[in-house]
Amino acid sequence: MGREAILNSIKKNKPELVNIPKIDIQLFDEEIDLVETFKNNVQLVGGSIAEINQINNLDSEIKKLYPNAKNIVTHIPESNLGTIEITNETTPHSLKNVDLTIIKGEFGISENGAVWISEDQFPIRVLPFITNDLVILLQKESLCLHMYNAYKKIFDRRRTFGLFISGPSKTADIEQCLVIGAQGAMNLTVILV
Amino acid sequence: MKVGLFIPCYINQLYPNVAIATLELLEKLNVDVYYPLNQTCCGQPLGNSGYESDAKGACQLFVENFKEYDVVVGPSGSCVHHIVEHFDLLPQTEEVKKIRNNTFELCEFIVKVLGKKIEGASFPHKVGLHKSCHGLRGLKLGSCSEKVEPYFSIEEDLLNEVEGLELMSLNRKDECCGFGGTFSVFEEAISVKMGKDKIQDHLDNGVEIITGADHSCLMHLEGLINRNKQPIKVMHIAEILNSSL
Amino acid sequence: MSHSKKAKIFNKNEDKVNWHDKALWFVREKRDVAANKVKGWEHLRDYASGIKANVLSNLDNYLVEFESNAIKNGIKVHWASNAEEHNTIVHKILQKHNAKNIVKSKSMLTEECHLNPYLEAQGIEVVDTDLGEYIVQIAKEAPSHIVLPAIHKTKEEVDELFQEHLGTTPSNGNPEYLTNEARKHLRSKFLNADAAITGVNFAVAETGGFVVCTNEGNADMGAHLAKVHIACMGIEKIIPKEEHLGIFLCLLARSATGQPITTYSSHFNKPIEGNEMHIVIVDNGRTEQLNREDFRSSLHCIRCGACMNTCPIYRRSGGHSYDATIPGPIGSILSPGKDLKKHSSLPFASTLCGSCTNVCPVKINIHEQLYKWRQIVVKDVKQPFVKKVVLKITGWLMARPKLFNLLGKSGRFILKYAPRFVVYSKLNAWGNARELPKIEKQNFNQWYKNRNKNG
Repeated sequence: MGREAILNSIKKNKPELVNIPKIDIQLFDEEIDLVETFKNNVQLVGGSIAEINQINNLDSEIKKLYPNAKNIVTHIPESNLGTIEITNETTPHSLKNVDLTIIKGEFGISENGAVWISEDQFPIRVLPFITNDLVILLQKESLCLHMYNAYKKIFDRRRTFGLFISGPSKTADIEQCLVIGAQGAMNLTVILV
Repeated sequence: MKVGLFIPCYINQLYPNVAIATLELLEKLNVDVYYPLNQTCCGQPLGNSGYESDAKGACQLFVENFKEYDVVVGPSGSCVHHIVEHFDLLPQTEEVKKIRNNTFELCEFIVKVLGKKIEGASFPHKVGLHKSCHGLRGLKLGSCSEKVEPYFSIEEDLLNEVEGLELMSLNRKDECCGFGGTFSVFEEAISVKMGKDKIQDHLDNGVEIITGADHSCLMHLEGLINRNKQPIKVMHIAEILNSSL
Repeated sequence: MSHSKKAKIFNKNEDKVNWHDKALWFVREKRDVAANKVKGWEHLRDYASGIKANVLSNLDNYLVEFESNAIKNGIKVHWASNAEEHNTIVHKILQKHNAKNIVKSKSMLTEECHLNPYLEAQGIEVVDTDLGEYIVQIAKEAPSHIVLPAIHKTKEEVDELFQEHLGTTPSNGNPEYLTNEARKHLRSKFLNADAAITGVNFAVAETGGFVVCTNEGNADMGAHLAKVHIACMGIEKIIPKEEHLGIFLCLLARSATGQPITTYSSHFNKPIEGNEMHIVIVDNGRTEQLNREDFRSSLHCIRCGACMNTCPIYRRSGGHSYDATIPGPIGSILSPGKDLKKHSSLPFASTLCGSCTNVCPVKINIHEQLYKWRQIVVKDVKQPFVKKVVLKITGWLMARPKLFNLLGKSGRFILKYAPRFVVYSKLNAWGNARELPKIEKQNFNQWYKNRNKNG
């Protein structure tokens, strides 16, 4: 019923083919400082920025930022703070008490402060949402200008699940008052290296 | 250039001074202007009410009245907009096309067609400009706050040429006043509320005179001002541009 | 009840109207700031509009391409011609998994199909997990805005609702406290959900994947914890290529709330190993709208809500005054296509100011479509006899200058000399709150004739 009826109805009712616009990406080019713009935008969307000179300082920086975190999932070799081991077999529900999660971001986007993260960096999809606080480690060199560049970067990925994440979860559903910390992570720090 | 003066029906009957100011202003600018006496209405109230097809006769009469002129000029953005945009309901003869392409709102005509400045006008008052929607968003008399585009305003440019006039800025630069033709009676509650808010914006910014290029909006605002006895007046932009010491 | 009647009731409380107007104007201003920061904003709008026009002209092929790619990735695809089919399909999937506790993230489509009451009648609990939707759900109301569902509620009203439903302590409407209480409550719902239902912001033909955008993270909390994820989408949510998301995601959040992008833009391509992912593709009147040349582009809509925030009528009448799933300007051009009679007052709930058209990120000519719907409403829906006759006679008179002018003169005479109680009678809606213009001695015609005689 549904499928054929819908497709036939579209065939009957659709207009003549309109060509798909060819996108001139140069229209959006800007001479801006990618790192500074990114940092400003992360803060604009309620996130925090930390910078480290060398990767060896990562754990001390995180400890400084989140001194009270006890249940920690680390999914990068550069950090040894993890207290909970996770694998593909871990039940997502068992992560409900995770205080802090440390993962790697694949690249960032200056124009909106978003970072692309995907299932390649966290074997359990719910992890970056269910964790109370989230730390994303990001290479400065990975920053690109805008979304259109971003999709060029992820075109060849293994398509399972991935997302652009921009700041901590938030809502303004009560009288337009911005509240950081809705259903996902309460807090997000991007650590630039 | 033979110019036909288009005086919308409500201006003819209710605001003759606006029509007189328009005519005098055009004459001061050395325009060869004529006023065809058989004018009725452009049909806008019917079109906006959904009865566009019943306005065909009015539209045809408009074409008859103005077909001999090179250019048609009127002091009302929404009426001019109706001719330019909605005369597509007539068969598109050469006459109709010519009229649709050559009908201008007064300020638009002075700036874009004549390319003239206002000289000798003087109006030492604090003025707030009401940018009527059909003039602004329809005829592009200025940039719109919603769009990312370079700022411009034909009406402000003209007002800035008037000696002593102080143009005040508003908190909401181009919010609709709530007139909307028959909207003003069929959605009376919202229409009145929008008008009240609009006037308040002008009052909050120290405006003494609200002006604009569309007197229908000003009629609505004036109705509220007079009922509520507020210390502010309305004047059509032609009356200000035509004023002298 | 017509829009104007509901709007009048809403306007009985002027303070609330002012509050509502300001809250939404604040969002409109945030949108302006965000748009002005983007180089090439108007080009983005042109591209987005062009891509959507292409989509509509090739929709059947894109849907088939989407379906085959989604199936390759292990997603199950269903097709529903109307709301009933949609609800039945969703229910069957839930039945198969014996799912009784459902978490749902925002989906205007499921609102349109009235999925919640349908499932509740089958003994299934559906919890709306977007905070705004949760608020209107416990208040037993419909969303009044598509992005800010509870924008009509003050924080004090939310406080009272939460006291009643969540047992919170009175907080004078403290948003942080209330949001955190909701978070705790919804966490337990997410952890115990058997299935998650989400909407779809964009479905990509080229990859068979789909994108869901939220700020709260509620769609992801639901979809990644439950065994079954059902995503419901209208046929018009398709875009051709993934790279086109680069255009749409630049526009969506900026237009909606002034954020550069939503917190989460989640790209779903494959189900979690061992879980199920379903997509329900719904028509429900959309192909009919596709057939209406003048109104086709209303299907470009990406549900950002910018037209509501900018609309001076919406801001002062509230979303519920539209009595439609999608309120505001865009709703006023979509709803008449679904039920012309029921929604016949909506195209008139506008001054045709055109602000909606200017903010629309996909360049729908909303105010021009409102004008066109008016012409159809008048032809196809029975109009009040008096209004119809008066306007018809007016049209006839307008073509007859001598009579028209005579009547104009008499009208002026009456207004000038009739007693005030006659002029300002109940029949004169203009005069309830406004004075009529002062009548001058002569009209312009008379003045002009005299001048020429004397001059």
